[in-house]
Amino acid sequence: MAEIVLDKVTKRYPDGALAVSEMNIEIADGEFIILVGPSGCGKSTALNMIAGLEDISGGELRIDGERANEKSPKDRDIAMVFQSYALYPHMSVRENMAFPLRLAKVDDATVKSKVEEAAKILDLTQHLDRRPSNLSGGQRQRVAMGRAIVRSPNAFLMDEPLSNLDAKLRGQMRTSVSKLQKQLGTTTVYVTHDQTEAMTLGDRVVVLRGGHVQQIGSPQFLYDQPANLFVAGFIGSPSMNFVPATLEGGALKSALGEVPLTDRIRTLVESSGAGREVVAGIRPEHFEDVALVDEQHRARGATFSSTVDVLESMGAEKYAYFSLESELAQTEELAEIAADAGSADVPGSGTTIVTRLDAASTAKEGETLQVWFDPDRIQLFDPKSGRNLTFED
Amino acid sequence: MAMQTATAGRKARWALLDIIVVAYALVPVLWIASLSFKSKETLADGNFFPREWTLDNYRDIFAMGEFVRPLINSIGISLIATLIAVVLGMMAAYAIARLDFPGKKLLVGVSLLIAMFPQISLVTPLFNIERELGLFDTWPGLILPYITFALPLAIYTLSSFFREIPWELEKAAKMDGATPAQAFRKVIAPLAAPGVFTTAILVFILCWNDFLFAISLTSTEASRTVPAALSFFTGASQFEDPTGTISAAAVVITIPIILFVLFFQRRIVAGLTSGAVKG
Repeated sequence: MAEIVLDKVTKRYPDGALAVSEMNIEIADGEFIILVGPSGCGKSTALNMIAGLEDISGGELRIDGERANEKSPKDRDIAMVFQSYALYPHMSVRENMAFPLRLAKVDDATVKSKVEEAAKILDLTQHLDRRPSNLSGGQRQRVAMGRAIVRSPNAFLMDEPLSNLDAKLRGQMRTSVSKLQKQLGTTTVYVTHDQTEAMTLGDRVVVLRGGHVQQIGSPQFLYDQPANLFVAGFIGSPSMNFVPATLEGGALKSALGEVPLTDRIRTLVESSGAGREVVAGIRPEHFEDVALVDEQHRARGATFSSTVDVLESMGAEKYAYFSLESELAQTEELAEIAADAGSADVPGSGTTIVTRLDAASTAKEGETLQVWFDPDRIQLFDPKSGRNLTFED
Repeated sequence: MAMQTATAGRKARWALLDIIVVAYALVPVLWIASLSFKSKETLADGNFFPREWTLDNYRDIFAMGEFVRPLINSIGISLIATLIAVVLGMMAAYAIARLDFPGKKLLVGVSLLIAMFPQISLVTPLFNIERELGLFDTWPGLILPYITFALPLAIYTLSSFFREIPWELEKAAKMDGATPAQAFRKVIAPLAAPGVFTTAILVFILCWNDFLFAISLTSTEASRTVPAALSFFTGASQFEDPTGTISAAAVVITIPIILFVLFFQRRIVAGLTSGAVKG
């Protein structure tokens, strides 16, 4: 059990590339923390620095209050689960799991009991004498976990441990990783590029981009109060819709029409000193088919109507895609986010809006639909710095 | 039915072809073996199967000092050269496969150059150098050039084996609490074993079969190896034909190679690294 503190930790490669820049994270004892970000954001580098597999170029890493920068991996007492599992192919499952204990010169009886206990937790008991090559992906993944938990380390580091599994298995393993961590109560740092894993697993999520920490907070907080455009676009699936807009006389003018600002938003925007040009963000679930909104709500909200480009019915809900003509150019920031999130739009002048509608909606592809949205759920961002102008502390 | 006949015909054609290839490769070897079992009188009768079987030739070569001593030299020199070349080659290959250091490309290039260098052009300089240094006609005098020419081979084969071992296994071992030496010994070395044995076989054969250095850098039985000694074979008298004894010796010196290959082949298990990482 340990607390891990990254104090201005920096990684600079010999060629001058900055992989991680002044990262400050305090990980409490027993906490499950997720590092999430697009590829190349420095999350794996950060994890390798905590593990001791990569040198720290600047700043300090403290494990339980003690400086650990110069400690070798074996002296940090941290276990790691690799994306590729990295099982020893010449050893049986039992030997694989016993390996850390053997290195620590634990006596045979203890090794046996600890391995069997870990195997029981991970449901591997009947596979103990098999070789990794004869196991399925999910079983190999569990062996890798077993090798990590068997010696009760200070902390677990997991480097995208589920990304090699198929979708269904990934869902199951996600639940069991979460349960296992709660059961053991060991500090865990988990790296992923999948925002779903980030949302569902962690106590807190650290969003990284280009080696910089963007925001740290609980998943729900990040979802409701993203600090900037990047976090807003990265967290949530489908991601938040962004529309370039202008603020004029207490109203927001954009491709969604002219919407009066609610009192709450006006106060926040004024206190943040926003300029005239902003980017408005609104999540897909804050839209609804007008026909399904009762009168009382309808009056309070705003509406726009457009042609449904694509309609995806998921059974429980429907996703309707619209493309809106936008007079304002997309900001550079938005384009980068789209690229980072891997959803770079097909080149076009319009803005694509994704809306999540109730399954009862009668929307049809190619037909015009009137869509209602709640103006109080709009978030406004500075188009240059990306800062959230409606951020509430 | 038509299909079956077609496959049968195909099989027959392939079998015939295989037999021709095997016969082409094995007839000279079997001929030597046959000669070695023939008595002196029937040696030149041209029969493939000896009419009179005899073990005299074998008895003769082991009775002669001029075969037994070179055999010991051959075994000793080849084993020592193989051991040193494989150990050095392992270190070099590991560095080449794992590390990025300045001059790596140069090192690989130079070792390739050595492998391609015509050995005959080195014989005279080596002869003079070794005479000056007192290495001429000694075991080290042969072991050193053998190592030089075996190293490029060892480095090449070993580095391709090392490259196949997932890098993450070593990281995993470190995380599990292993020192770099333990990680190498307990994780990397067992996985590299097939490569090491393959390399050992190749290097051993290279040293064992060498004739050029063996004939040029030795002068007495102190270090002369079997391939060189064979060329000095004479009969019991000056006028006796040594064909029988040479054949017997040729058969005998192939035996260590066969044993060596059989012994190590069991350890060459392909695909040992499968299952380490998600394939």
